[in-house]
Amino acid sequence: MESTVAAPVKTESPHTPTPVPGRRRKRPSTGLLSAVCTFGLLVLGCLFWHLGSALAWWSPATIPPLTEVTPALVEILGSGEFWGDAGRTGFEIAIAFVGGGAFGLLVGIGFWKAPTIGRVFEPYLVSFYAVPLVLFYPVMIVIVGINQWSVIILASIMAGIPMALNTWVGLSGLPPVYLKLARSLGCNPRQTMFEVALPAAAPFIVAGLRLAVVYALIGAVAMEFVTASAGLGFRIRYLYESFDTVEMFVYVLVVLAMSLALTFLLSVAERALLRGRAGR
Amino acid sequence: MSQPGIQISDLSVEFAGGDADPVTAVSGVSQEIDAHRFVSIVGPSGCGKSTLLNVVAGLQQPTAGSIMIDGKPVTGPDRRIGLVFQEDSTLPWKTTTDNVAFGMRILGVAKRDQQRRAQEMIDLVGLQGFEQSYPAMLSGGMRQRVALARTLAQQPSVLLMDEPFAALDQQTRILLGAEVRRIWRQTKQTVLFVTHDLSEAILMSQQVWVMSYRPGRIIDVIDVDLPDDRDASVVSTPAFNELQNRIWSTLQQEAMRGFVAESTAA
Amino acid sequence: MTAASVHTRRRPRINVPAGSFLLLLLVILLWWLAAQLSFVIPTPADTVGALVSNFGDADYRRHVEATAAAVLVAFLVAGLLGVLLGLALGLSKWVRIIFEPLVVGFNGVPKIVLYPVLLPIFSLSGSKIVMGVLFGLFPILINVAAGIRDMPAVYWKLARSVNANWWQVLTQIIVPAIRRPLLTGVRLAASLSAVGVVLAEFFSTRFGLGRVVLRAYGNGNYPDMMATILLLISVAFIVSLLLWRWERKTR
Ligand SMILES: Nc1ncnc2c1ncn2[C@@H]1O[C@H](COP(=O)(O)OP(=O)(O)OP(=O)(O)O)[C@@H](O)[C@H]1O
Ligand SMILES: [Mg+2]
Repeated sequence: MESTVAAPVKTESPHTPTPVPGRRRKRPSTGLLSAVCTFGLLVLGCLFWHLGSALAWWSPATIPPLTEVTPALVEILGSGEFWGDAGRTGFEIAIAFVGGGAFGLLVGIGFWKAPTIGRVFEPYLVSFYAVPLVLFYPVMIVIVGINQWSVIILASIMAGIPMALNTWVGLSGLPPVYLKLARSLGCNPRQTMFEVALPAAAPFIVAGLRLAVVYALIGAVAMEFVTASAGLGFRIRYLYESFDTVEMFVYVLVVLAMSLALTFLLSVAERALLRGRAGR
Repeated sequence: MSQPGIQISDLSVEFAGGDADPVTAVSGVSQEIDAHRFVSIVGPSGCGKSTLLNVVAGLQQPTAGSIMIDGKPVTGPDRRIGLVFQEDSTLPWKTTTDNVAFGMRILGVAKRDQQRRAQEMIDLVGLQGFEQSYPAMLSGGMRQRVALARTLAQQPSVLLMDEPFAALDQQTRILLGAEVRRIWRQTKQTVLFVTHDLSEAILMSQQVWVMSYRPGRIIDVIDVDLPDDRDASVVSTPAFNELQNRIWSTLQQEAMRGFVAESTAA
Repeated sequence: MTAASVHTRRRPRINVPAGSFLLLLLVILLWWLAAQLSFVIPTPADTVGALVSNFGDADYRRHVEATAAAVLVAFLVAGLLGVLLGLALGLSKWVRIIFEPLVVGFNGVPKIVLYPVLLPIFSLSGSKIVMGVLFGLFPILINVAAGIRDMPAVYWKLARSVNANWWQVLTQIIVPAIRRPLLTGVRLAASLSAVGVVLAEFFSTRFGLGRVVLRAYGNGNYPDMMATILLLISVAFIVSLLLWRWERKTR
């Protein structure tokens, strides 16, 4: 199932009948064990970092010691500048996710209704990842000017594509019998869409949503990093260029922690949304 | 004194076939089923059984002819008709209760009645205790019971079943077949039942129609005069054997013809 | 869908590749129109002209080579590492329990923020390769692991019943069984390692096309900027498309 994280399109259908009628449920113990191990690994990483600095395996200019980064972290988390940057990045991600996600959903539904058009667009959509979208940044500046909208637009595109592809794949993989059921009950188009088609495609759509969040985050931060004048990504670059390694590390850590937390929350949300289905 | 249940008059269905030759799936079928009767259709693969059923259900327009249910014509999807599909049609995001109530919800049955009727049907198909289970936790046979309960809860006057047990194993088929028959004896819907399995057809129905390979016609109609409260033990009676031989002798030629046509076409 | 349309669901008459090609022409037309409306946007013809004359310049070719070499190395390293780690993650239950959450988590990290951390460690020319590896590694790793996990259990029984050694299991059973997710991973790795390298070059490098774009933008030389963007995008698109078609043909 995790293949979705990387592949924009989940290729296997969740509707393929399972050989054993799915009464297997994941034992909760592995999840707990995983959590403990992850925590342990993170602690181990910090320990290694601390030890390396203490034993001078690397210079503090390359990797500043944990003992300097931690107080700086506390200080920065209390500063208004940090929350300004975080707020701006959060806003960009939120708009890109909502806008890109909604647009992607509509496009996916449209492609399902008109598969020929979908197939005409498909090669370009699947190859969008191949394009460093950041290249368009100068072009975006020419079009919308120097402001956060160029970041938002490019992040929205990155969020919208997996959403569109996943929605499309999910809907076109619907078991025909669901649509036949809807028709035999005389469902109107709205009922067919909201009572049958979209819930049936939900495993794909939810995976698409998860990718949309991740790509909105990656897109926004990367774009900020390369060219923006505010936001967490920008701040890292700025601190690097002003040789403030300690503070830069703090921001890098915050971004890492933020995205790890987001991934975790998303997998929890996914589980909750798809409650009761096979394998969940 | 018998009321009309399903009346099929001079029905033909032709598929345009795109760049291939048009296919006549159903040709000039005229049959009647009195209300409350149980009729099965058998026929070689690809002869047009599903097509016939789809037209009766109003899911597909016939090229010619018409369908009447309880004396009134069918023009499209119709709430007087309940369908049970071959494929698993339970919705994986709904519990058994919600799945059973789904049809009623779409048809606009009052909320209170939905709950009550759903529970009645769950009891009827023997799924007590699984009300809050999701389909993923149920076996194939149980899911098909859920689908049956959903259809019955719509209180259709006509029940159309297209190979509802085809995806199940032999034991489950036999058990579920007996169950369907028991339920039918209780609810007395008019039933049109498609199957590949001759003994299933004989065991369950009051009449068996044999369909020919394309163009699909009804080439034989056999009344099954076995006792109404028969059970699986009748398969060893001479009467059952005689019926089976009669149907098989007609079907054999058609199945052979279909097999040859399909393999030369491919 | 109306009742009647059920009969006529056949293959579409429209030729899909031709449609895709038409779409491309349409985009070029729109670009040309935009160029007419705004003098900052160079026309397609000017852009191609700039690209051709750029290639006559030895200095430019050097930038192209630097980027190409970095991408290639990054892709190869990411591919090899990704397959090995993916095998470990897919085959061993314990590796999965211990490392999977972090792997999945790091896949969702905007890796570019690590670039300034990498710079003092791997130097200017090494860091962009590491960046490319970080970008390309995860898709292949995750796809390989997921592919192995989705393998039918009967394959393992088969392997045991014929007493296959580990090399035979790998080459005769695992690789053929996971070839589709593997190819998906390879395609994404190829694309993303290029994205990683170019992104890194955008930030800082001595030689590389990312830098060329930024410099041209800084100088206001829009035809040159567009020419390099066009080059990068076309190559990336074509490689990705070819891999994608190969992937689709694989069953
Ligand atoms: N939508 C369609 N377009 C064109 N031809 C069709 C279509 N649906 C069915 N057919 C053709 O009509 C014929 C009858 O099909 P149908 O599905 O009714 O057969 P069947 O008796 O139910 O077969 P089976 O026993 O395999 O379920 C077949 O030859 C099939 O190829
Ligand atoms: Mg059929």
